[in-house]
Amino acid sequence: MNQRSRQRARAIVKMLVPEDYDRLQSIKINDLGFGYDPFGLEMESVMLAFAVAKFVYTNWFRVESHGVENVPVKGPVLITPNHSGVLPIDGAMIGVDLAKKMETPRVMRGVVDNFAGFLPFVNTLFYRWGQIIGARRNFEELLRQGEMVVVFPEGHKGTGKPYRERYKLTRFNVGFMELSLLNKTPIVPAAVIGAEEQYPYMLDLKPLARLLNFPYMPVTPMMLLLGPLGIVPLPTKYAIYYGEPLHFYRDYPPETVKDPETIYGLVDTVKTHVQELIDQGLRERKGVFGFSLSSLDALLGGAGETVPPEERRQIQEKAGS
Amino acid sequence: MVKKKKKTVKKRVTVKKKEGPVAKKVETTSRKKNVLITGVTGTVGSRLAEALYYDKNVGVIFGVALGAKPYYFNQFDTKRFRYKNLNILKQRDLTNLFLASDFKEAKINTVVHLAFLNRVVSASKEKKTFNTLNVEGTRDLLEKCIESGSVTKFIFKSSDVVYKIRPHNPIYLDENADLNFDTDVDPWIKDRVDADMICQSKLDNRKTNIVILRFSNIIGRMVSSQMNAFFDSPLNFRALGFNPLINLIHMEDVIQAIHLAIKKNVKGIFNIAGADTAPISTFAEINRSRMVSLPEPLLGPSNALLRMMGLTRYYYSVDQDRLKYSLLLDTGKAQKTLGFRPRSHVYFERGVA
Repeated sequence: MNQRSRQRARAIVKMLVPEDYDRLQSIKINDLGFGYDPFGLEMESVMLAFAVAKFVYTNWFRVESHGVENVPVKGPVLITPNHSGVLPIDGAMIGVDLAKKMETPRVMRGVVDNFAGFLPFVNTLFYRWGQIIGARRNFEELLRQGEMVVVFPEGHKGTGKPYRERYKLTRFNVGFMELSLLNKTPIVPAAVIGAEEQYPYMLDLKPLARLLNFPYMPVTPMMLLLGPLGIVPLPTKYAIYYGEPLHFYRDYPPETVKDPETIYGLVDTVKTHVQELIDQGLRERKGVFGFSLSSLDALLGGAGETVPPEERRQIQEKAGS
Repeated sequence: MVKKKKKTVKKRVTVKKKEGPVAKKVETTSRKKNVLITGVTGTVGSRLAEALYYDKNVGVIFGVALGAKPYYFNQFDTKRFRYKNLNILKQRDLTNLFLASDFKEAKINTVVHLAFLNRVVSASKEKKTFNTLNVEGTRDLLEKCIESGSVTKFIFKSSDVVYKIRPHNPIYLDENADLNFDTDVDPWIKDRVDADMICQSKLDNRKTNIVILRFSNIIGRMVSSQMNAFFDSPLNFRALGFNPLINLIHMEDVIQAIHLAIKKNVKGIFNIAGADTAPISTFAEINRSRMVSLPEPLLGPSNALLRMMGLTRYYYSVDQDRLKYSLLLDTGKAQKTLGFRPRSHVYFERGVA
């Protein structure tokens, strides 16, 4: 953006979200001199994205959150939520929630999958909004700069999982744990409730996905019924839960990264924490859409579905070992 | 003057008598640098020659390039600055240079290799000639320097085009990042990667310290870099949906980095980047050049059309990935070892970055 566009962007943000404008203005970035940080983040783009996403946050998904005080207000931190819902809207809602509710607002730096880098527009927008393509070196650099990084350990396996597997965590990648130990960074487990039902995804058009270089190409009933309008997600009620920070680096020195068994064990501990937060969220919610309408919930397979006890026991045993 | 000469001779004798690593250190620091600059008539070469001429720690400067001695070198004292018209990349000229009496007299101990044919060529015959001159010429020069036994430092000016540009690259590429070994890469890049690799292969040589300086996009008047050509054009095209971060380096910083590499007792590869980093569109805007975003398949033909009309010297085929994905250099090693810090901001004719 040039100077005039930046001024205009700030004026629009002030008009759209006057109550958050000062908070957003107070966020400092590592400006290289042209209004961009080394990763391409531009504060005006972040503010505009916030203003648009906040409308969705407030009016469409009606997001509520719990435990935001568990997220450190300064220094490096890793937030590890579950990932779901075809499109990474859950990431955007976490970003808005943290910028809106933290005592000192911070920009969420999301680590996104490599495929995003190939996509025109998506590539540029992600960088301007502070999102980073998942190269390990980038991840490390962010932590070194004391940023708040949100990483979805499930990766695109989470967003691409079919509807019947909702709220069942897929395998966690271990890279985040290694970087947490190497950079002495606390991990805040988090859970997003509601995203898993926003696109009841039935079918994956794999040949089309391969052709477009996408990891998956989902088809939902809404897309079949409404055509292009089916891209609009269902207005499920979102709830975000932040757990207490886990300071593994206090007990495990950086050399632990050479011990894969311990690393897998620690990752499973994080996974268990995330699953517990998911269970809590599912227990506490009043319905998929935020109100109790059993027939509608039943249509979507029930509001309180969670991991079967046997699977849970296996996860906990693994974490314990 | 005579007294001074006697003093230096005495000093050398005492140094030779000493033994061990301490003695060697004293020798390298006390000896003046006699520098051979290949491609001295280029913008970097001539500026470097000027900077070295006013450096008291530099003795003789021996400049070689194709063509008659340019007028701007006439201001230099011929005892300290000597010029030879030859093509250093040709085996015959190279051999003749090393046999020439004035070259032997100069007692060259440092070589700065800047000579490189920069023109982008399309004919396959020309490509082969360019490859022979650039790559084999660099190899021959390097081998000659090592063979000579007197050259203790060989500095090769490389650039960031040698790196493989990918969307999932780290935001800062360090010196160990993957180079572009793609088979379908443009020969312009291939020559640079090959020459860089030749220098890398000799990095562990004990007699000659080899320094490879990989510069980001050099911007300056008469500089033949791709980005310079890009911003020189009155009309630019960029890939629709992409706006990568690029780094521009000022000529002063290029000279500073080479100068530091000459002065300091270093070897190895160093990334050198400038003070200005921003998206490509920001620089175009500062330069007040018109930039049109086009879908990627149209960029090649549009660029060819502009070249046919004489509106640009930029070749899209050479660095098409650069118009899509960011490439920034990690200069941590250069900062730590060379003490390099960019000091100047890029100046565009139509605005300052």
